[in-house]
Amino acid sequence: MRGPRPTPRSPRTRARGATIAAFVALAPLLPAAAVAAGTLKVDAALPYVCALPSGERPATVRITAAFPERAAVGEEIRPTDVTTTVELPPAAVADLVALKAATVRAESRLTVAVAQNEQRAEAVWNGTAQPVPVPTEGPLTLTTTGDVPSLTTDTAGEMTLTAGAFAVDLAPAGADGAATDPPSLAVTCVPGDDPEGRARLAAVPVGAAVPTGEPGTPPPSPTVPSPSAPVTGLPRPSLPTDRTAPAKPRTAEGAPSGTPRGPLVGPRTDAGPAADEEAPGTPEPRPDAPPCVTEKPTPASLSAYIVGYSNVRKLNGANLIPLSCIQVEQGLIEFVERPDAFHVITPAEGGLSYQGRRQTPPFKATFLTFGFVPTTATVILEQVGPLTMRGDMALTFPVNTALAHVRVPVVLRVLDAEVNGTPLEVGPSCRTESPLKSVEPEPDKYPGDHLVLVGRGEYEYGQDSKGYLVLDGGPLTGEAFIPAFTGCGADGENIDRLLTAAISGPGNYIKQIQSPVCSVGVPEAPAELCTEDRQPRQIPKPER
Amino acid sequence: MKKPIRNLAVVAGAASAAFALAVSPASAVASTVWTVTPSPANFTALNSGNIVLSVNGIAMTCTKSNAAGTMQSATGNPATVGSISTMVFGAPGVPCTSVLGTVVATPTLPWAVKVFDYTAATGVSKGYIDNVDATVTAGACNFRVTGKASGTYTNSTGKLAVSSTSGELTVVSATNCGGAVPVGAKPIFKGDYLVKVAGTTTIPKIVGSNP
Repeated sequence: MRGPRPTPRSPRTRARGATIAAFVALAPLLPAAAVAAGTLKVDAALPYVCALPSGERPATVRITAAFPERAAVGEEIRPTDVTTTVELPPAAVADLVALKAATVRAESRLTVAVAQNEQRAEAVWNGTAQPVPVPTEGPLTLTTTGDVPSLTTDTAGEMTLTAGAFAVDLAPAGADGAATDPPSLAVTCVPGDDPEGRARLAAVPVGAAVPTGEPGTPPPSPTVPSPSAPVTGLPRPSLPTDRTAPAKPRTAEGAPSGTPRGPLVGPRTDAGPAADEEAPGTPEPRPDAPPCVTEKPTPASLSAYIVGYSNVRKLNGANLIPLSCIQVEQGLIEFVERPDAFHVITPAEGGLSYQGRRQTPPFKATFLTFGFVPTTATVILEQVGPLTMRGDMALTFPVNTALAHVRVPVVLRVLDAEVNGTPLEVGPSCRTESPLKSVEPEPDKYPGDHLVLVGRGEYEYGQDSKGYLVLDGGPLTGEAFIPAFTGCGADGENIDRLLTAAISGPGNYIKQIQSPVCSVGVPEAPAELCTEDRQPRQIPKPER
Repeated sequence: MKKPIRNLAVVAGAASAAFALAVSPASAVASTVWTVTPSPANFTALNSGNIVLSVNGIAMTCTKSNAAGTMQSATGNPATVGSISTMVFGAPGVPCTSVLGTVVATPTLPWAVKVFDYTAATGVSKGYIDNVDATVTAGACNFRVTGKASGTYTNSTGKLAVSSTSGELTVVSATNCGGAVPVGAKPIFKGDYLVKVAGTTTIPKIVGSNP
């Protein structure tokens, strides 16, 4: 689907390359040069009408933010220095006082409408605040801060951002620090009369010819499409976060050290044209991606990329598992006769590959501790047994139906973590006590805990395949139980239970998109599927 | 595990289909002088309908295919009236497909267009594509097909209808294809191409005669 794409709460980034460090900590590592020269500062006080327990009341929401004055096509537009201040009327204070609240902690959500040309999208700016005392009288002012989604677009034209609905969740606490009853108040607000159009926060010209480092250069006409724009415009929010404190610098891969890389250097895996939408026969340069060279290929070697989201039930959101390389050895294709039809079985076995290790690249994941405290962690999925793929195509007429299973035992290893911006020492051995687990349809044949991802597809002669085939890729879905954590903590402090409470549990939906495979080991690797050094050429993009 | 008995059943099915395809009227008269108009000429050809290579009951289908080469008058029976120097299966964004997934076929060229029978009443020449040689890849399954493929050419429409019979093409090597494509399998190649003189809308003519 083309057009502006909202990215609800799930963090996204259009980082390129091995990156994809999807979450939270990307903003702090943005080098200043990655932002178009010139900054547009916004300070708008907007009228709202908020629904309080005691009734609807007018309120003022003040929004400050900084935007690049302009951006090139494809360049990330990241609002920075975002603060949201809401002045709740005395009636709100009375509601809190009635709960015997002494302090209140706030989390805010501002919906921002993003528009460019005929395209529309929505972004959500999340903010959090430290607890503040509840005044005895007068209004209550709450200021929240946080990182917000970045935007990218693949066409030229003015991109506008307009403030929309606003909500603030209040977590009051009594003088003794105990939660009140009820423990939270949700205040929703809608924009009030805005005759001056102040809700339009910013208009950022986007044009292909805009230089990123010369503030004096006028932008091109916003109505002229970029000749290099590969697809129709699609402003995409890409990185909502809940952070309130800057993270330590990280590499684009999310590694805990190294030279910070702006997202402009990495592959865009969640935005822009996917390689599978381009001409497979056109061996154009592949977008940056984690290396996926098969070191010692055999004639049966295949490789592919996979990327996608994993819902975290406790977060009520999703984390992006970054673009990861899979290298497998295809087994012999088999015919099997069953009552319904002949079946063609395509087996393969191998695993993830990242810098010589069987794991995903490190990535940022966001969770909520105690239901509202933002917890971010740098994690990897570490393979602890072989990854197996098994495609089963029933030769039925007129449509052949395919069912594939990808099984892989992986543990979730935590490399570092922060709770509400405060770093936690997790130690070197912090991981789930056992592999992530799915319901296995054939437990006798495939014992042990492991993830099971299922792909379904169909093929009709003369038509493109639909859904998932092992060789063509496509969506794989599954659901994971995340076991308890073990080995987490340092200096005598054990944080196993903290992480278990924040992360572990059932019902974590996973949707991964696999690229078509590169036939690494054949004498002449197909150029549309493989790079010259026989890495997968096509880069999948995550889907929800 | 591979199940040879099951595979034989599939082969038999494919072979039956091939015999059916091979049935055609045989009323033409052998010709020795073949007049191609214009001659010599470059030609291009685009598929009309799907191009299908079937092996052991597995069809590998290309919805797009094109070819180019030269054609010229010739003498003999059979006579080589054309040479295919470009043969593309699939197109950017439109790969060839199969139940295994995307299939990539890489021909080793040139292939020859040979004719041996001409029916003046219909303007149809019978012949075959000779020196067929192509490598086909589906994942790690990689096999090579060589041989020839029978076909007809119709002057009124410019249609080159390729419909090989079982045994004309043979899988001479195969790697990682298991029972799906064993060495010695007899694929069937079927598809229609519409031929034009390159850069024009002119349909070339092939006329056989016995002076």
